[in-house]
Amino acid sequence: MTQAATNISDTSTSDTSTSDLMVEMRGVNKWYGDFHVLRDIDLEVKRGERIVVCGPSGSGKSTLIRCINHLEEHQQGDIVVGGVPLTQDVKRIEQIRRSVGMVFQHFNLFPHLTVLENCCVAPMWVQKKSRREAEEMAMQYLERVRIAEQALKYPGQLSGGQQQRVAIARSLCMHPDVMLFDEPTSALDPEMIKEVLDVMVELANEGMTMLCVTHEMGFAKTVADRVIFMDQGQIIEENAPEPFFNNPQSERTQLFLSQILGH
Amino acid sequence: MIHNQTIIKERPAPSSSVGAVAWLRANLFNGPINTIFTLIGLYVLYFLVVPTVQWAFLNADWIGTTRDDCSREGACWVFINARFTQFIYGLYPREEIWRANIVFAGFFTLIAWLAIPRLPFKRWVAVFALVGFPIVAYVLLHGGYFDLPRVSTHRWGGLMLTLLLATVGMVGALPIGIVLALGRRSDMPIVKSFCVVFIEFWRGVPLITVLFMASVMLPLFLPSEMNVDRLVRALIGLTLFQSAYMAEVIRGGLQAIPKGQEEAAAALGMTYWKRMGLIVLPQALKMMIPGIVNTFISLFKDTTLVMIIGLFDLLGIVQAALADSRWLGFSLEGYVFAAFMFWIFCFSMSRYSQYLERKLHTGHKR
Repeated sequence: MTQAATNISDTSTSDTSTSDLMVEMRGVNKWYGDFHVLRDIDLEVKRGERIVVCGPSGSGKSTLIRCINHLEEHQQGDIVVGGVPLTQDVKRIEQIRRSVGMVFQHFNLFPHLTVLENCCVAPMWVQKKSRREAEEMAMQYLERVRIAEQALKYPGQLSGGQQQRVAIARSLCMHPDVMLFDEPTSALDPEMIKEVLDVMVELANEGMTMLCVTHEMGFAKTVADRVIFMDQGQIIEENAPEPFFNNPQSERTQLFLSQILGH
Repeated sequence: MIHNQTIIKERPAPSSSVGAVAWLRANLFNGPINTIFTLIGLYVLYFLVVPTVQWAFLNADWIGTTRDDCSREGACWVFINARFTQFIYGLYPREEIWRANIVFAGFFTLIAWLAIPRLPFKRWVAVFALVGFPIVAYVLLHGGYFDLPRVSTHRWGGLMLTLLLATVGMVGALPIGIVLALGRRSDMPIVKSFCVVFIEFWRGVPLITVLFMASVMLPLFLPSEMNVDRLVRALIGLTLFQSAYMAEVIRGGLQAIPKGQEEAAAALGMTYWKRMGLIVLPQALKMMIPGIVNTFISLFKDTTLVMIIGLFDLLGIVQAALADSRWLGFSLEGYVFAAFMFWIFCFSMSRYSQYLERKLHTGHKR
């Protein structure tokens, strides 16, 4: 239950003082029109930390992590990613995005490119790697998510679980400092969830900083350092998994947990 | 309980279900209504095809040089024969036609090279086709360099002019259309309004008006020492007009690409132009091939409208030939010839687009 409240007077000088902080959010607010989606979000993610965000649908979990790489724009508050304050500046947004990997609910693989090209397109065109270098690295990561033998197929020829593993490999090819997962298993058939979670657990064990919106409570228990519960755009509760699941403090958390674990 | 332990041997299908007779029975005569339609269809076909074949081939005159050689009641292709050079090259001087022939040869070679998948160096050929070839073609056709006599553009005509107008229009309209379509979806209000106004203006004006204004009105506004060639003015008018249509076709394609595609590209750190060029446009253009080719085909046929500003494209030169007193009364032959030439080019484009669609289909579903 640590609601971080350290004040940083000037975010632009925070580059050196917060080198162990991957993501910092201070007083972040966001509205969709009149609808207040994110309310006074304060969040710190240390390097190597694994955080699971859960909560009922519409609670703003996805919006929260999408603000980190500016897929959504926040209207108030400060976000600092890897020491770089997130502003309106396009160059800076792109700089942050290069160091932040993201995995989507619906995979969002590029259907006109093969699996291998999906993994190579950003290293080649964003990081200016040679095709050979990019392909070698892509094959390594595809190997790691156990899908290397499908490298020359198109995404449409793969199952959902395979596509999501490719999406993870595609993100890893950019060597991100932090990975955002936006309900990575929600669109999958039940028998495919495990193959994706296994890859994510391995990634966590290798020390990747992760922010993961998910309803997989088993995953939260095994890998998370902290679990964050959100409701109505607010962070309601935040704790280590063991006390979070065994001894939830707020009523809303208790209700939510009883609903998703109690059936 | 085991039903069958021995494997049943393969047997041929019964003869009543294979072969031509079975096919006819299944597809053309499988019921009273279908049979009636089949018979009506055959009847109509007979009454259309037989006289056409008789007129165009069996009773037609092919050989000769003057109208007196056309003695039979069928088509007089002698007329087309006698005027063929003019139909292809317009009023281009006879002794310089070899220059136009080189351009024709280069043009068709480049197209074939780009269209046949087995041939190598596609990228370099494409670069040459877009950058080098237009210069070569201009130098050859227009002359005035390397001791080549000048042939001013008002002598260009026929199929040559039609192809020139259509090619320049297509090559120009596609990129301008892409930029306009992207601009119309832009977040920047100025860019967006400019594109909307541009597209809606050009789409709302008839092409004839555009061409007429380009040839009559434009010189009034330009300083008198600035003398833009009539052909160039027509080309600009045609290109801008078609790019507005192209923009709307492409915008439809862009809208069909799920938002997640651009988000995924953005999340990988791609800039706007890379997101568009590498991820969104390749998918949108692929989906838009039928629409784009449709626009190309209508552009190809719209080139005939340059007639009204005094340029003699294929149809224009055929019509001019019809007015020749030595050849009065052969308008049917002339128009059939023009229609056939247009049909060949449009049909080829249509077939190639179908082939491209099949080839680019990567079996993806969204």
